[in-house]
Amino acid sequence: MVANIPTTKRLSDLKPGFSGEVAAFSNEFVAGKLMTMGILPGTRLVLVREAPFGGGWYVKIGNYSIALRKQEAACIIMN
Amino acid sequence: MHHHELGDISSPSSTRPLTVALLGNPNCGKSSIFNRLTGLRQKVGNFPGVTVEKKSGNLRLDDGQVVHLIDFPGAYSFYPNSQDERIVVQSLANPKAEHYPDAILYVADVTKLDKHLLLFSQLRDLNLPLVLLLNMSDVAERDGIVLDTKLLAARFKVPVVLLSGRTGSGFKALKLAIAQIKTGVAASEHKNRRLNAIEKKVSQRVQAILPDLNPYQAVLIAHHVDWLPYLDSTQKAAIRQINSEEGFKSLNCQVEETMHRYDIFTPLVQQVLQTKAEEKSTLTTRLDSVLTHRIAGPLIFFAIMLLVFQAIFAWASYPMDWIEWGFAQAEAGINAVLPAGWLTSLLTEGILAGLGGIVVFVPQIAILFFLISLLEEVGYMARAAFIFDRVMQAFGLNGRSIVALISGGACAIPAIMSTRTIGNWKERLITILVTPFISCSARIPVYTVLIGFVVAERTVWGIFNLQGLAFMGLYLLGIAAALLAALVFKWILKTSEHSFLLLELPEYRSPVLRNVGITVWEKVKAFVVEAGKVILVISVILWALASYGPPGEMEAATQAARDRAQQEQMDETTAENLIAAKKIEASYAGHLGKAIEPAIAPLGFDWKIGIALITSFAAREVFVGTMATIYSIGSDDDEYSVRNRMAKERNPDTGQLVYTQATSFSLLLFYVFAMMCMSTLAVVKRETNSWKWPIIQFLFMTGLAYLASFVAYQVMT
Repeated sequence: MVANIPTTKRLSDLKPGFSGEVAAFSNEFVAGKLMTMGILPGTRLVLVREAPFGGGWYVKIGNYSIALRKQEAACIIMN
Repeated sequence: MHHHELGDISSPSSTRPLTVALLGNPNCGKSSIFNRLTGLRQKVGNFPGVTVEKKSGNLRLDDGQVVHLIDFPGAYSFYPNSQDERIVVQSLANPKAEHYPDAILYVADVTKLDKHLLLFSQLRDLNLPLVLLLNMSDVAERDGIVLDTKLLAARFKVPVVLLSGRTGSGFKALKLAIAQIKTGVAASEHKNRRLNAIEKKVSQRVQAILPDLNPYQAVLIAHHVDWLPYLDSTQKAAIRQINSEEGFKSLNCQVEETMHRYDIFTPLVQQVLQTKAEEKSTLTTRLDSVLTHRIAGPLIFFAIMLLVFQAIFAWASYPMDWIEWGFAQAEAGINAVLPAGWLTSLLTEGILAGLGGIVVFVPQIAILFFLISLLEEVGYMARAAFIFDRVMQAFGLNGRSIVALISGGACAIPAIMSTRTIGNWKERLITILVTPFISCSARIPVYTVLIGFVVAERTVWGIFNLQGLAFMGLYLLGIAAALLAALVFKWILKTSEHSFLLLELPEYRSPVLRNVGITVWEKVKAFVVEAGKVILVISVILWALASYGPPGEMEAATQAARDRAQQEQMDETTAENLIAAKKIEASYAGHLGKAIEPAIAPLGFDWKIGIALITSFAAREVFVGTMATIYSIGSDDDEYSVRNRMAKERNPDTGQLVYTQATSFSLLLFYVFAMMCMSTLAVVKRETNSWKWPIIQFLFMTGLAYLASFVAYQVMT
């Protein structure tokens, strides 16, 4: 659930168009916030696009879209 | 609360209507339901201690019973990310809290049921009567979502109503469900989530301190002990002690609780819900590929902003002309009916002039709020926040700050109130501090009157009006000042608080005009009533200060002016103007202006401008009215005549024109930068909970204004 996994598959390192399943979170504070918005381990998400001026991601979870910053995306470990 | 006139006399409980809380996640369509239930019978206030907007209203059921409905801010869970969400915890974690409801209506978007049940499952553990409203039944139908509401109701052991706030379907069933809460049918057995060993111990020990709490509420108090307002310092210390003794780690428990709840309701949702699971390209996906596009996104944003400001100027000018005409007629009417005297003078030059000064802004404010709430309602504002988050971060702001900065173009007060969705205190504070730099609608008449003295009315490059460009330049100057000031604060203010942006991008929806209409109505009403009070008082005070002076001085000045007029054989109008000018010079207002003249002379301002500056510190929009009163022209709000009179104004000593290019430009700069709005300062005080920030804001804005005006005037002369 919350674990220190090497940062090889952080969401922030992936390219737009990537689609995959959340494995874990590397930061408990961010985990708490993401989970209240419905991003949990096992959730499938799609990296839709980067924000026009960078710094943020447009992420889709099913029919639900959210924007998050790279720092938060870096805490999401993907399968 | 007393509602005797509405209650049923035969029943003793009817003196206090049943209080029902309307709760749900952001973007669940809660306000549509609230607006449909209460219409314009809403009261807008604030939750105690904070400026989070509290909307409430009474709903009359078919049997005549009245239910009091409170619309809470949207929240994702009992673990708040912003000031808005804190209100929900604060009001529900303690049965003794203000606004603790008798029952709850929980709204969930049926198309996002798997995400919207977290808060529901937490609310369930409060053991209050609860009704689950599944909103967006129209969208569900369109998308082929099939739902077994009977099974859902049986599993959750709550009444379930499928409805649509947009179309109004299901509202009969909703009212029936509310009526049944009243008669107690809705309350039913529910097994709360099992607390873990640590939570259980903490819960019991907190309950020993606060015996009104149920076990889950006690856990919530332990989680949020640091900020809950109703705990005194002894209670806080005791609860912190319990937390550390029991090894209660808030974040750990929060994550565990959240996972546990999802584990319970996710299988249930899958059981009752059938979706046509094909990943088709929705309208929102297609729109966003353009609207949040790397290049097209920002361009479209600026095009929309240009349209908004174009609309304000183009559409508002007609109703504004009618309003001015109406006030001129009223003034003429009063002057014709009432005999000349101090009462007539107070009515026309004081009260009517003041009222006209407020009402004339209503069209611009209404149009701006209409367009802003339209952008919000269709879901565009969240995209703007997403697009500009990186840019805003560079200036120490948050993507959400863009909403405040845009709204600041209408009025800084609602703009500052909109910052409560920004979770990070430093980002929120900086947004609050710099938003008043954005040129608000109250500056428009000042700019209109003065701009002609700075640039000539002509066309450049074939299509552009030079004055229009100068106008835009003033707006850009305000934006630049806001961003630079933000940068300065970013360096000065220190915080260890984590900054984040977790923003839901809701699906684009065609706006519900009822919602937009109600917002516009409320904002305009608040402006007229709140700003109106200030302006009216200032107008009357100004009128008194300008009409009366130290004993004997005004009479002496009048006599001297009359003698001079006779000597120089002036025509009647010139003589009248001279007398009026000399009278105001001898009045209390004149003395006040003269007193500050040495301080403002380096900026190119004389004592008459000084009076306007003093009154403008109450509210900028008083400027034109003050000018009109000082130059004693009949119609106070006719900008053209004020302008003409100002254009002719000469310094009596040197004989030179007062409104030279240098003075006018200096004055314009002063109005762009200076903090001249008492209402804004009051709101900043309330939002930041201290006098420190409004005082700092006042000093740096006005200091910058003085400096800019000083440099401009000295360089230009």
